[in-house]
Amino acid sequence: MLLPENTKCECGHQNGIGTILCESCGKPLDPELANSNEVLEMRYDGVARPSQKANPNFIDKIWNFFSSVKVAIYLILITLVLTIPGAIIQQADTFLSVTFDPSTYYKETYGTIGHIFYLLGFHKSFESWWFTTLLVMIAASLVICSIDRVVPLYRALNKQQIKKHLSFLKRQKASLSIELSRDTDQFLNQFSEQLKKKRYRVHREGQALLAEKYRFSRWGPYINHIGLIVILITLVFRSFPNLHMDSYVKIVDGDTVPIVGTNFYVKSDGFKIVYYEKDELPADKQDTVLVKSFETEATLYKCVALCDDVTQEPQLELLKEHKILVNSPLSYKGFRLHQFDYDLTPRLNAVSPSIVDKETGETYGPFLLSMFNPEQNFEVGPYKLTLLSKYMDFIIDSSGEPTTQSSSPNSPAFIFNIMGPGLAESGENYMYFPLEKDKVRFAQDSINRELSEKIEIKVFGMENVDYAEATTYLNVRYDPVAKYLLIGSLICMIGLTMGSYWNHRRVWLRIDAQTLTLGAHTNKNWYAIRQEIAGCLKQVDIVVDQKELDNGGNKS
Amino acid sequence: MNLMSVSTLSFTLAFVLYCISFGLYCVAVGGKRWSNRDAKAHEKKWTKLAFLVAIIGLVAQVTSFTTRWIFIGHIPNSNLYEYITLFALFTMIAFFIIQFIYKKPLLGMFALPLTIILIGYASVFDTGVQPLIPQLQSHWLKIHVSLAALGEAFFALSFAAALMYLLRTVDFNSKEKSAVRQQRVIEFVIISVIIVCGFIFSAFTFKGMGYTATYEHEAISLDTKNQLVTSIVQVEYTMPPIFRPYNSTQIHMDSFLGLTSAPLETPEWFGGANAGRKLNTVIWSIISGLLLYGIIRLIIRKPLGKLIHPFLDGIDENDLDEISYRTIVIGFPIFTLGALIFAAIWAEKAWGRFWNWDPKETWALITWLYYSAYLHFRLSRGWQGKPSAWLAVVGFIIVLFTLVGVNLLVAGMHSYAGVQ
Repeated sequence: MLLPENTKCECGHQNGIGTILCESCGKPLDPELANSNEVLEMRYDGVARPSQKANPNFIDKIWNFFSSVKVAIYLILITLVLTIPGAIIQQADTFLSVTFDPSTYYKETYGTIGHIFYLLGFHKSFESWWFTTLLVMIAASLVICSIDRVVPLYRALNKQQIKKHLSFLKRQKASLSIELSRDTDQFLNQFSEQLKKKRYRVHREGQALLAEKYRFSRWGPYINHIGLIVILITLVFRSFPNLHMDSYVKIVDGDTVPIVGTNFYVKSDGFKIVYYEKDELPADKQDTVLVKSFETEATLYKCVALCDDVTQEPQLELLKEHKILVNSPLSYKGFRLHQFDYDLTPRLNAVSPSIVDKETGETYGPFLLSMFNPEQNFEVGPYKLTLLSKYMDFIIDSSGEPTTQSSSPNSPAFIFNIMGPGLAESGENYMYFPLEKDKVRFAQDSINRELSEKIEIKVFGMENVDYAEATTYLNVRYDPVAKYLLIGSLICMIGLTMGSYWNHRRVWLRIDAQTLTLGAHTNKNWYAIRQEIAGCLKQVDIVVDQKELDNGGNKS
Repeated sequence: MNLMSVSTLSFTLAFVLYCISFGLYCVAVGGKRWSNRDAKAHEKKWTKLAFLVAIIGLVAQVTSFTTRWIFIGHIPNSNLYEYITLFALFTMIAFFIIQFIYKKPLLGMFALPLTIILIGYASVFDTGVQPLIPQLQSHWLKIHVSLAALGEAFFALSFAAALMYLLRTVDFNSKEKSAVRQQRVIEFVIISVIIVCGFIFSAFTFKGMGYTATYEHEAISLDTKNQLVTSIVQVEYTMPPIFRPYNSTQIHMDSFLGLTSAPLETPEWFGGANAGRKLNTVIWSIISGLLLYGIIRLIIRKPLGKLIHPFLDGIDENDLDEISYRTIVIGFPIFTLGALIFAAIWAEKAWGRFWNWDPKETWALITWLYYSAYLHFRLSRGWQGKPSAWLAVVGFIIVLFTLVGVNLLVAGMHSYAGVQ
């Protein structure tokens, strides 16, 4: 367009470029629109949006792109479609195993398609760059779309004229035109009363009337969007390291372990699984085993002194005791311990074996042999034992040397030098496996040769075995930013509720001579506004069916 | 008689009453053209009666729900059977709310069969009671699950209104290309509904016959230490096997129509637990659904859409369009709160993280994104009416997938919800 557009309305109001309906009187400005008889598009009351500029520059163009609802819908749909593969193929981070290899797993499980998905990053869909980009774009769209609309909408609703152009009224989706056969002032008074009963705020100007209610519902979507923006910004902040903590601790019954990265210690007084009793189960499921609860009796401590000193026991101060259940974590000042997993393999803590003199049949002892901190020398009856070496998880390696696989007492083994009656002066070496299975597996008797004919180290009865029954795994969480997600959600819900369960309704009415022209607009729920107006008219003895108010405009 | 039998009895009663109510709605609409009667008065009289019966049905179902709750000691929404029945109950409640606002009783003609099918479908699953596993022992079970179901119930009603709108507005006599395509898609939607009926029908028929077949197959899986574990798994079929499990041996099979062994084997790439049985069930549902549809077609001799179309003649399509939109507007905040926000709060408490990208959660998000796209589409010109109705139909398919598809097909943290 070469000439500057004339945007001045006949009522004298100067409108901005892109205005569809005069901001003041509501007359359609676009010549093509003015000549047709179609129902008016009432979006943002026909006011121009900031994005509708005559000569957009580069930044304007970006703004314009994100200000489009169409673009917003595309962004939502693209996100939706790209989320689906991630919801169907198992995500890489759900595999707890350390040896899990995504480069082969997806090919083996899902075939070639799986491999393609893996290459495209769908095995980590929600941490991928494209997913983050989409979220950032949605955030931009939310901000720009909202600002682009809420400002003009606010302006339009803030300075509404009461008397509107006739064509504006006649071309509303709900509209009515009738001849009045009574005094117009009296009618206006009565009709206003009826509208006020329906909670409308009524403004009058001469023979014209504007009634409005629940305008606040128009702000619902924008408040909802603010909530969503708060959520998205929080998610971005959460992705920085150190802002939240997510780790696991393994605690064997009775142990106290430090929580890495904090000065907290946690002790487990025992993990247990409780099963439903027979009388708690329904008749047809009596033979099933059903877990009632997973419990860890936990105590949280804070280290107050000697924390970094490896040689000494740290000084701990009790903070909190709590029975951790699946739905009841131990929680201390935003710091939480959740029940995550368990292991029911018992762990040997100590044994108290005795020494048997095979020649006399005499038994000496028992003496306490701890797996973790054993004494170096023992005196048992006439025998003197010196601990030469200790293996927690005994195995013979490929070069034939004894070694240990791990620091867990899965197959403990001890080598003692024993001095005593009937033994060599300098003592003889004796290898001892506390666990029966190892004794057989590693052939303890043949290792000890003739010494095994003379003596034997042996545990009598389970009361001489000290073991932990279970191991609990707790998930350590500290997530102070998460509360902003809650705040965002709350804002969201307030906005959604405002916008969904209330509707902004406006009724314009003018009387020219004896002709009454009425137009009404709502952003949602036309049936109800027609019903409401018909009801009010009925109270002032004008009987119309709500359908007569329907001006069409729903058809597409 | 204990509370449980009261519950079961009133549940059956509710089902029967819903069926009667549906029948009355059909009479109300179908009987308009019977001779010697005023069409309007006829419709009014019969819809009133149908509505009354539906209300009594709802009272019976609420009784069933409450007594079951008291008997088992926790809210009955913790497995698929209980959840889908609750969903059906909420669909009825949503119908009554919309009926109260819009006074369009004919909506019942679509809302009731939807409820009936949901109840039938629910009854296929294990209806027994079971104490809660540790993960579900929380007050959030009441709030999160119920609100999500209520939101979805409104989406279901939106589907009913949208389908009505389409049946009302699509031109079933036109031979034009786009009209024919719409006729076909509607027919396809109707066939899908009939296939669900086929599933319910075959499940109950074979259950009634007491049919069983047993297979053993070797399952190879990874244990927590990432080592391959081979185990022998017994698979129990309750429908005659057309597809036997992959790599399995038959232990026992009741003879079916002279058949004593399964003709086909499930392909290997059908992964997951009980893949063979699931595939077999799907095939049976399709066969019996198509058979059912074929019989109906033989009797009426025209597409079902074309049959229903003229009965909806008197209904204002703009009202249907508005109802379909309005129900989504009502359901959307409820769904957001129940299925996403409360879900996140509970997850934070139980699992220590508010969002896990667990398949069920992700599908709830997909549903949410879909309906928010729908709401934005409604803002644009030209997306009211038919396009919007199609969107509502597709939306409900997504809801159904989130509801049952995820539990049956994809593993995840929500998979404990009572699927056998």
